[in-house]
Amino acid sequence: MRNAFSDALVMAAKADPKILLLTGDHGYALFDAFRKACPEQYINCGIAEQNMVGVAAGLARAGFFPVVYGLAAFVPVRVLEQIKIDICYEALPVVLIGDGAGFVYSHLGSSHQSTEDIACARAIPGLAILSPGDRFEMSAAMQLAFDLKSPVYLRMGKSDRGDVHAAPVSFRLGELLCVRAGNTGMVLLATGSMLKAALDLVDNGLGAEVWSVPTIKPLDTQQLAAIATRNSGVVVIEEHSISGGLGACVTEIIASMYGTTRVCRIGVEDRFSQYCGSYEYLLKEHQLDTLSLRRRVDEFGAILSE
Amino acid sequence: MRRFDATELRKTILTMAYSGATVHIGCAFSIVEILAVLYRNHLRLDRDNPRAPLRDYMVLSKGHGVMAQYACLHELGYVSQEEVRDYFGDGTRLKGLADVHVPGVEATCGSLGHGLSVAAGLALAARLNKTDQRIYVLVGDGELNEGPIWEAVMFAVHFKLDNLVIVVDKNGFQAMGSTDEVMRLGNIEDKFSAFGCEAIAVDGHDEAALDEAFMSCHQHMDERPKVIVAKTVKGKGVSFMENDNAWHYTRLKVDSYNAAMTELRERIA
Repeated sequence: MRNAFSDALVMAAKADPKILLLTGDHGYALFDAFRKACPEQYINCGIAEQNMVGVAAGLARAGFFPVVYGLAAFVPVRVLEQIKIDICYEALPVVLIGDGAGFVYSHLGSSHQSTEDIACARAIPGLAILSPGDRFEMSAAMQLAFDLKSPVYLRMGKSDRGDVHAAPVSFRLGELLCVRAGNTGMVLLATGSMLKAALDLVDNGLGAEVWSVPTIKPLDTQQLAAIATRNSGVVVIEEHSISGGLGACVTEIIASMYGTTRVCRIGVEDRFSQYCGSYEYLLKEHQLDTLSLRRRVDEFGAILSE
Repeated sequence: MRRFDATELRKTILTMAYSGATVHIGCAFSIVEILAVLYRNHLRLDRDNPRAPLRDYMVLSKGHGVMAQYACLHELGYVSQEEVRDYFGDGTRLKGLADVHVPGVEATCGSLGHGLSVAAGLALAARLNKTDQRIYVLVGDGELNEGPIWEAVMFAVHFKLDNLVIVVDKNGFQAMGSTDEVMRLGNIEDKFSAFGCEAIAVDGHDEAALDEAFMSCHQHMDERPKVIVAKTVKGKGVSFMENDNAWHYTRLKVDSYNAAMTELRERIA
């Protein structure tokens, strides 16, 4: 997935010299190919994220297409005001990359873990939020981000969980992608790292429909409504806080349908990580590991069939 | 009449402030001569196209002084007489802080510490595009409290942005008191010099001195960003407002408006 990101970035930058990569002194090894292919388009802004976003706004205002790279804890969260005022208020074509979203930096603690970035970003008008779930979705998301020519936050979480799709995909902004058909009355919606987790649940015996949500904002409300109407229960799984994340977005849309579809939000509860440990350990701590997910989904299934 | 006459600009500011019953009058008055000299002699702008691609940029980072910029933009023709008279009217576009949607305003500033970074981005863009555009950014001395200012200064020095001119409006006050009382700045020229800028001090109300300072910035393309620390008087131009920090937040009443306007008119006569 990270290779797909790097490849897409290099390809776009080689085709358009107006594309510039700005990094806050992050991206060790990730940008080797870029620096080799497009050294003039690589700008290390130092460990100063607020300035980096302002600089990106100035560059965009003068006709460039900056890609701003940071860890999700910093881009977008630390620089939220710069994103709001410098970039989004003028709808400038800047692509913000938040790497390591969720619990990727499991050993480093809460400063580098990012489970509130979607909630923060989605309240800013005009900022699209992309959250690809495998390398094919990453390639498509990068293409979409460059095509939009307006502010985009691309959330990059745990990236080595394997493929979900069998071949390259493409998607419209807001479009949900069906990855497993089903007719049990329950549908799983998942984004980013949790897409593979949802798929694993289904492939290990849970008979449910699975949709990938590579765009968190805007969401295709009509498509989502159609999916919700066909099912009695919608489970949303994400490596993000249940406050303000995809689960909240979906719940808001389904609530506004005044229907009978029920929603189960699975994500990070309203708390910080307590302990140090591996990524898998932290998923367990937050009940996002396969066993916990299965238990939560089964509980919801039991309620639906009551 | 002289173009961008400081007293006329102050009259426009006063008209706006009175019709909008708004604050930040002292903050606008301190930067009038700086903007007058820039708009009159240095900014290469297109009267018919505020977004002309090769224009110079004037970023008002201390966005709360925006009435002074509106007064210049009014003279330039970007802002109409109706907009001046109907300042703060419902449904109008001129806000109380610098807003990028207004023609001639290049960044949204009012939340302090934003404009210098945007200006640095514009300066880098001009460098990459190999244009001779100049980027001016006006920051307040109180605004120097903001961390991103110093991030941006380091950036501008590192990337050798000598097409960037930073003007500091050193009026010695910020919202709640003098800069010495609130957050001691020390010697501002020394601070910028220590970061690697070329910094000079000038009387911010002496138009000839300002003009010379800007000329000298253009002549020294020595890879160092330029800093002009302009010593100014908050509330400059109206005797009872000068150095009285109350005019950061005081609104004009009919008596104070008439007294101020009378004083400005007498200055012209």
